Amino acid sequence: MGIYLLKRLGASIVTALLATFLIFALVRMVPGDVVAQMMGQAGGPEAEAALRAFFGLDAPIHVQYVTWLGDALRGDLGVSWTRGIPVTDMVVSSFLVTLQLGLVTLAVATVIGVPLGILAGIYEGRPIDTLIQGFNVIGLSAPVFWVGLMLLVAVSSALSWSPPLRFVPPTQSLADNAAILVLPVSSLALLQVAAYSQFVRQNVVSALQQQYVRTAVAKGLPTRIVFFKHILRNVTIPIVTFMGLILIQILGGVVIIESLFALPGLGRLLLTAIETRDYPVVQGALLLVVLVAMIVNLVIDIAYHAIDPRMRVS
Amino acid sequence: MHKSIVAAIGRRPRQSIITAFTAAALAGAAASPAWAELYGPVPDAPQMGGTLDVGMLVEPPALDPFHQAADARIRVTVLIYQGLFYEAADGEAKPLLAESYEVSEDGLTYTFQLREGVKFHNGKDMTAEDVAYSYNYIRDPENGSPGAGDFAIIDSVEATGPLTVVMTLSEPNAALPMTLGNKYGAVIPAGYFDDENARTAMNSQSVGTGPFRLAEFNPNQNLTLERFEDYWEEGAPYLDAVNFAFLPNSASMLVALRNGRIDVVNLERPQDVAQVEGIEGLVIERFPSLNQKTVDLGSETPPLDDVRVRQAISLAIDKEEIMQAAIGGYGQVITTIVAGLEDRWGVPASELPFQARDLERARALMEDAGHGDGVDITLTTINGYDWMDPAAVTLKEQLGEIGIDLQIQRVDLGVWIDNFRSRQMGFTFNDWATQPDPNLLFFRHFHKQPEGADFRNWNNEEASELLARGRSESDYDERKDIYAQFQKVLAETVPTIMMFSSDHIVVRDEAVQNYSQHPTGWYYGIARTWLDE
Repeated sequence: MGIYLLKRLGASIVTALLATFLIFALVRMVPGDVVAQMMGQAGGPEAEAALRAFFGLDAPIHVQYVTWLGDALRGDLGVSWTRGIPVTDMVVSSFLVTLQLGLVTLAVATVIGVPLGILAGIYEGRPIDTLIQGFNVIGLSAPVFWVGLMLLVAVSSALSWSPPLRFVPPTQSLADNAAILVLPVSSLALLQVAAYSQFVRQNVVSALQQQYVRTAVAKGLPTRIVFFKHILRNVTIPIVTFMGLILIQILGGVVIIESLFALPGLGRLLLTAIETRDYPVVQGALLLVVLVAMIVNLVIDIAYHAIDPRMRVS
Repeated sequence: MHKSIVAAIGRRPRQSIITAFTAAALAGAAASPAWAELYGPVPDAPQMGGTLDVGMLVEPPALDPFHQAADARIRVTVLIYQGLFYEAADGEAKPLLAESYEVSEDGLTYTFQLREGVKFHNGKDMTAEDVAYSYNYIRDPENGSPGAGDFAIIDSVEATGPLTVVMTLSEPNAALPMTLGNKYGAVIPAGYFDDENARTAMNSQSVGTGPFRLAEFNPNQNLTLERFEDYWEEGAPYLDAVNFAFLPNSASMLVALRNGRIDVVNLERPQDVAQVEGIEGLVIERFPSLNQKTVDLGSETPPLDDVRVRQAISLAIDKEEIMQAAIGGYGQVITTIVAGLEDRWGVPASELPFQARDLERARALMEDAGHGDGVDITLTTINGYDWMDPAAVTLKEQLGEIGIDLQIQRVDLGVWIDNFRSRQMGFTFNDWATQPDPNLLFFRHFHKQPEGADFRNWNNEEASELLARGRSESDYDERKDIYAQFQKVLAETVPTIMMFSSDHIVVRDEAVQNYSQHPTGWYYGIARTWLDE
């Protein structure tokens, strides 16, 4: 386990380094830098050169990268070129918003999606299964931005209400926070509930066909015990994997929802930073995304080991 | 309580709005407080207090008026920072932080008397030293200001007394007062930029003299301004605070507007305006603007290097049809100057060549140019500019009639700006705005290099000579004549085709009183707004 962890960690670090370099190079390949953005259709060559030097953009790209990496390793991600706020502060505070959105969505999706999937799996082929599968098809095929837009418009015209425009963290006011999150979470959760229940249903259906389940039923074990000890235990492993995948998927998909509902999350921060060519913020935000994706994957792997004894041997 | 439905949408004549402005200004002038002409009509008995919630679709990248050219920045910072002059809607520069000025006989030396009793947001008194520092800072290209180009005409700025500033120019420039307006730079305390973090510090603390000061600026959320208690104009402003909410899409903007989370917003897309028409409690108003939606014709590559092709395109375009398709008629077709400047500086369309659509003549010109069998041209449009897509399709059809096969290429703004700045724009849509002065509108864009930027590789001697004369002439009638000649050259040789100016469409809650939209699109009017609650 220890060696395995070390190997995994080593590979992760190499991946992260590679990712930072790619991000660094790619963001600079996008035409028009921060200076062009600040100058617009005005300005002159002298003023441009002066600004470029101010941001250190006149240095060769590898020098810029080494400087940035050195600072980043010391925990300094620099300062936003437009806002002047430390990148770490911006990235962390917006990530907390995204994380809350992601975790609440995950919780809602799990609590609703897993029971639906189990229900559909157990009653395979019955009307309730058809009903749930019908819902899944809708949930899986409706684009998130469309669902969000429809929810926003429907709630607005039915209740003459729309979410407050200013984000409030739950620590400040739980009620306001809930009012802000209810629509974005619902829009994101629809897809994930459907994905979850579809996935769980398949696993339950295939578990039901396993011989050990038939044996357990045949030898007269109570249904409750067959379900909890034999079926659920085996379905849990793929669910944990799936949970991680879904969390990453949610974090990736929030850009649209954050923009639609004007939430100050990581996705929107990244979007505006790219628009203004605020390289330090783009690099810092993407670094965090890479790290989070890696950590989630690592945690899933470790969780496997904990849940499934077979994994421990290999 | 019964609320009446006031939807003044229809085709509101521009004339009446301008007249309303002027009348209010004149009425104020009778009692003659110096500020009566500033920012919009002064209300009789405004109610004090309250917070105005304004929706903004585009967020200002930063609040530094010295280093950010973004229009979203200028819109809000005009309430925080002030220059020596105010760009009045009628196209005249009115003294703002200056009180009066004198020009020497040769037009090279300007002596400004500054307003007394002006305080900065940090509590210090404004002096001539601060004015000299601010303008010397911006005109030095080493400081990297987008305004450096406009201010290059200034040779020196000196404080000669506590409230007296003398500026000398390298050559006479009638647009100097307008240049000392509020687009770039402002008067800030002397020595402000000595601190290396001063640029971004403007996002957390304001150091201007304007009616509002910065309270908070949260990325991707909001900008709150609060009333500056020591503002030099007695009694103004009337609001306690202004909160700008950044909503990146119009769907949530419209929902917020309907549910009273936003009091006022400027809408640009006709389909958005249609969504709020007839809603009880919301008022829709139109104001003329200084923006222009154009087709630019860069002469750097064939076939646009041939003036006959450019003239043929000018003759083939039906501006009205494009305007209807692009912005649903919420604007005005223009000839060679933006709508807001038409009255003061325009030339009647009948006196300009290549304006009326004439397909036969256009085809003949194409034939002459050797393109009788047709030619391919690529039109560049910019992602995120909603009007460009329908306009491009309409233009493709119109140009198809004279044998031009138009390919439409959409690019990101960054790519477009790069092409533009390197003078490789080719055939492209453009969307830009100006301060209300012909020199500031035309010179930089159309004077040949190196004095101008000449983005379109026009390189026209006659036009450049006229622009140079217009800049140094201070007599209005003479100037008007010079710029009329310039516009004729522009229409004749077609480096650009100005299609239309879109109106500013303001949607506001009934409770919002005395809000007027300045033709630049900047939020000056908020300094005169009050809430009836």
